[in-house]
Amino acid sequence: MSEAGPVLLATALLKDYPMNGETVHALRGVSLRVHRGDYVAIAGPSGSGKSTLLQLIGGIDTPSSGSVEILGTRLESLKDRELTRLRLTRLGFIFQRFHLLPVLTARENVELPMAEAGLGGAERRARARELLAYVGLGGRADHRATQLSGGEMQRVAIARALANRPAVLLADEPTGELDAATGQEILDLFRRLNADGTTLVVVTHDQRLAAEAGRVIHMLDGRILGD
Amino acid sequence: MNGLGWGVKSLARHPLRTALSLAGIAVAAAMLLDMVMLSGGIEKSFSEMLLTRGYQVRMTPKGTLPFDSEATISGASRLVIALRSEPGVEAAGAVLGTSLYGRASDSLVTLFGYGIEPQAQALYQLTAGRDLARDDTSGILLSEPAAGLLRAGVGDTVTLVGRLDPQIAEAAIGRKLLVRGQVRWLYDYRGQPSVGTLLPVMQRLARQSSEDRASVLMVKVRDDALVAVVAERLRQRFPQLEVNSVADLVVHFKQRLVYFRQLSYILGSMSLIVAVLLVATLLTITVNERLGEIATLRAIGVSRATIVRQVLAEGAALTFAGATLGILLGLGTARYLDAILTSFPGLPAAFSFFVPRADTLTFAALVLLITGSLAGLYPAWLAARAPVAATLRAEAT
Repeated sequence: MSEAGPVLLATALLKDYPMNGETVHALRGVSLRVHRGDYVAIAGPSGSGKSTLLQLIGGIDTPSSGSVEILGTRLESLKDRELTRLRLTRLGFIFQRFHLLPVLTARENVELPMAEAGLGGAERRARARELLAYVGLGGRADHRATQLSGGEMQRVAIARALANRPAVLLADEPTGELDAATGQEILDLFRRLNADGTTLVVVTHDQRLAAEAGRVIHMLDGRILGD
Repeated sequence: MNGLGWGVKSLARHPLRTALSLAGIAVAAAMLLDMVMLSGGIEKSFSEMLLTRGYQVRMTPKGTLPFDSEATISGASRLVIALRSEPGVEAAGAVLGTSLYGRASDSLVTLFGYGIEPQAQALYQLTAGRDLARDDTSGILLSEPAAGLLRAGVGDTVTLVGRLDPQIAEAAIGRKLLVRGQVRWLYDYRGQPSVGTLLPVMQRLARQSSEDRASVLMVKVRDDALVAVVAERLRQRFPQLEVNSVADLVVHFKQRLVYFRQLSYILGSMSLIVAVLLVATLLTITVNERLGEIATLRAIGVSRATIVRQVLAEGAALTFAGATLGILLGLGTARYLDAILTSFPGLPAAFSFFVPRADTLTFAALVLLITGSLAGLYPAWLAARAPVAATLRAEAT
């Protein structure tokens, strides 16, 4: 994979779902190219297919047809175990509802992907503390997820997503559960992340977030209207 | 954070539900332990009781077991001499068991009498005073209940009266004896008032002197001889007698109490099934509640194997905690149940139904831990197969 090549390449993605005996066409031929350091916002109304697109390019779901490449690796050629490993080491995920493990502390949540990747305990702890400090939660490392506010939980989720130094950070409505002020903190953090070299693909219907991105892709009815 | 630590923390999410499940598993584990103790404890206890004094062979009238009937052996002294001359025999003695009376104030109380040979006895342990000498025809040994009934202690004189036989028009034989010691008769039931005198004294009181009768002959085998070989040789030399080694008696005993073993197997299996169902149910509920969390973990790259390990670890942690509580509960209930069962009339007080042994505890704990951990397989499979994309979509709406 050359430095100049795309980090993420999606080609002619189609995705159909069976629902109540009918077929829902969630994506109708979407292609997308993301380069290192890009900050891409995918915007569109509910049901436009933006979250489905994020799941396909994140290797969480498989397309009905079309292909996805991450750093030159075609996802459809990978076995489940290889795909899981790729998600662990090459991609970082941020969800609307944070999805932290409530029984673990902020630090343990951040350590979790690193433990799965086989990093040693001392190295994990040091990096988790470093990442929590980066997202402004250095003093909350030993608090349980349930003891954190919504904004803090999302920042822990961002630190978790960064744990294994992913090539791309994929975020699905990261400010959807937050109030305006807290959402702004997350936008600021994304801006800083991108400035520090992180490639971001963010699905949102938050106009402020879309305005922050260097590139906005508008979707409607499973198609890209504009890039 | 390893799978076990994560599993334990996950269980702490719903403390009340986990506590109730733990209580259920502990009760099932206690029952399993009790049943395992019961299934092996009876024969173990019986064998240990018979070997308390090291006499490994009992000889009784043909077709009977020791003290199982009133049948007796004639020519006891001659037989004992013959036995003592047998190769492989270290010691031998005769015992006569009979019912008789003791005088307490102006009334008679019913007692059980042992005629013994103190130099070769396998029936009692001295608890106070001293043992009878081999020629002490005026001495007597009392059990604690007998001492209570006769209101006599060491150094006191008691009067024994032989059984009155209405078919013999003779007065019952009476005899004054000096209490030499207090003993614990090994095969007495709880509260049994028993006394012991030298064999000839008891034979006279029981009108068994003329034929020198005894109920049982006891044989101690030398350390360098095999009990089974000696028993077989005695069978051939004394075909008119029933020769049973302790191992033979244990077999007889097991045959009589086979229903106890069957009952313990059935109840033990049921306990195990209940424990497995409890673990599987709790984990299945937990996994279904956490499908969103599991889908998230899968999405961020946590492998199916890690998810499976985590659910299995949760099951193992639950089972381990339940088994630990269950062992304590099982030991407590075993003592209580043992006290009830051994209070049945006719059962030796030294006998136990529930014998706690390290191997029994280990076996019950291991069976429970393995099956309890395996109970997590189905919920673990559910967790590993959770549809990641669909679950995340459902979570987002």
